[in-house]
Amino acid sequence: MSESDFEKGADAPRDDDVELLAQDADTEAPELEAPPAGPPATVPSTSTDVASSRISVVSEPVARTDDEEFQWHTGTKHSVEGVEDAIEFLDVHKAFGRNRVLRGLNLGIPENRISMILGPSGTGKSVCIKHMVGLLYPDQGDILVHGESVPNMVDDELFDMRRKFGVLFQDGALFGSMNLYDNVAFPLRQHTDRGEEEIAEIVNARLREVGLGEANEMMPNELSGGMRKRAGFARALVLDPDIVLFDEPDSGLDPVRTALLCELIKEIHEENGGAYVVITHDIASARRVAEFIAVLWRGRIVESGPAADLFASENPFVRQFLSGESQGPLGME
Amino acid sequence: MNGLLAAPRAWIETFGEIAGFCGQVLGQVFGGRVFRFFGEALRQAGILILSSTLVICGLVFIIGLQCGIEGAYFTRGTGTPTYAGVFAAWCDLRELVPYAFGYMMAAKVGTGIVAELGSMRISDEIDALEVMGINSMTFLCATRLLASWMVLPFVYIASVRSGFFASYLAVVVQIHEVSAGGYSLIFWMFQNPPDLLFSAIKAMAMATVIVLVGCYYGYNARGGPVGVGTATAKSMVLNIVAVHLIGMLGTQIFWGANPRAPIGG
Ligand SMILES: Nc1ncnc2c1ncn2[C@@H]1O[C@H](COP(=O)(O)OP(=O)(O)OP(=O)(O)O)[C@@H](O)[C@H]1O
Ligand SMILES: [Mg+2]
Repeated sequence: MSESDFEKGADAPRDDDVELLAQDADTEAPELEAPPAGPPATVPSTSTDVASSRISVVSEPVARTDDEEFQWHTGTKHSVEGVEDAIEFLDVHKAFGRNRVLRGLNLGIPENRISMILGPSGTGKSVCIKHMVGLLYPDQGDILVHGESVPNMVDDELFDMRRKFGVLFQDGALFGSMNLYDNVAFPLRQHTDRGEEEIAEIVNARLREVGLGEANEMMPNELSGGMRKRAGFARALVLDPDIVLFDEPDSGLDPVRTALLCELIKEIHEENGGAYVVITHDIASARRVAEFIAVLWRGRIVESGPAADLFASENPFVRQFLSGESQGPLGME
Repeated sequence: MNGLLAAPRAWIETFGEIAGFCGQVLGQVFGGRVFRFFGEALRQAGILILSSTLVICGLVFIIGLQCGIEGAYFTRGTGTPTYAGVFAAWCDLRELVPYAFGYMMAAKVGTGIVAELGSMRISDEIDALEVMGINSMTFLCATRLLASWMVLPFVYIASVRSGFFASYLAVVVQIHEVSAGGYSLIFWMFQNPPDLLFSAIKAMAMATVIVLVGCYYGYNARGGPVGVGTATAKSMVLNIVAVHLIGMLGTQIFWGANPRAPIGG
């Protein structure tokens, strides 16, 4: 960034100055740092100023206090009337080495609703899902599924608890050594005493639902990414689980299929009920199917609540994210 | 000083981890948990028979030819060509057949397991198994160990036969300084059923270690496709070292104090 960029914002200091000052004088730094430090309400007006808006994108200071970093995280939870939480996160912290991914996550996923977890790429949505099924353990805090603490379960309890779940992993996670049919039939064969005919009926119905009725015999490596996603989707639902976790079911699909998939999720949910958790980046999908939305950023919930409340939210981060604008608290970092 | 100790300490740590892992897998086999997935164990056994029997027997056949040729020329050099069978018998049964078996197991089965489990690990397939309420260690590792114990003794006996046959071909048919009967008399005089048992024990110890090491490195693979490659290489190194250690220890224990040779007193 050249000197001239700063001329308009006369009192805006150079970015390296800000960092230096921020390091040795924490008290002074917030005054010097024009854009992000202001109260939330003033931001929309300052963001029209060319110079300062650029600063907020390019040189967001690295060392931040929790107050600044979490200034948009009201953690407000607009509760859903008369519904209990199927899954609860209680002040969960999780770090991979120095990378602190979850930083005091408090989240409740309501029973019998389709919930969506939204958030920028790399904020820990997939990590969050892995905590729900006990694939990762929190460094601190607790996760409750139907009131039972997942991290404190012994192995056998954990395996029993997991049978409540149907999970679609981000990359599908189909078994590479089995063809599509066997992949979808696998949970039925392992956990039920159904005969092959009955299994065939269920599996073929599920595969047709996702438009893979013809691809029965194909191996996962012969499928496109979107086809693998859809097959994983079919496999996750084959046991009619109580809790369903979908990690980006719609990524890699064309717009029409995405819309159809959303319809399918709604239909199946109406039939089976249960808590559905869908992670997505697609706001249109969120508008279509979400009944409950939680926005995750920097390892905490910014805001969560019924979809209508969130789409009407005053929170600048939520507004920016749900409308997909480039201007606002979230930059490329 | 600390720097010097870092590498050995890491080895000891890894060794401890592997030992713990093997303990768990063995526990699942002996504790009977593995029989929940007996179908999978049978499937793995089938794969082992189909994919490994021929190549193991083939390698042992070549080794058997070599033992026969070396034995025939060596005993001709010492003026006792009728004793070619001694060299062939010992060379085949006690040393080289177990080694050849171990090498091929490490190269084919061991690395195969690392690559397969490793790629399952990095593409979240193992997580997917876990999430379906299936103990992935039992399903993937214990079944493979059980399968190898069910199948490999027979594969081994078959490979010993092919080695014997090759030695016979080399000594009797190719070099032809002893008659078939003379060769066989000596050949069978210098070994007895316990020798075959000891040899099989050697080979099964190798196979067990190879399968367990393969499972460990595959199951715990990290760091994407590159990580799987590194894990494969590491497992191969460890397996080759283990094969030689077991070969040496086996010879010491079974024949070191008593060569079981009908010579002199
Ligand atoms: N097994 C792991 N080891 C180390 N770091 C990890 C691991 N899994 C995730 N991370 C880190 O955790 C952070 C969050 O990852 P995660 O996959 O949850 O993101 P995400 O929100 O799902 O993103 P996307 O929307 O792109 O899928 C990333 O910074 C990633 O580097
Ligand atoms: Mg993700």
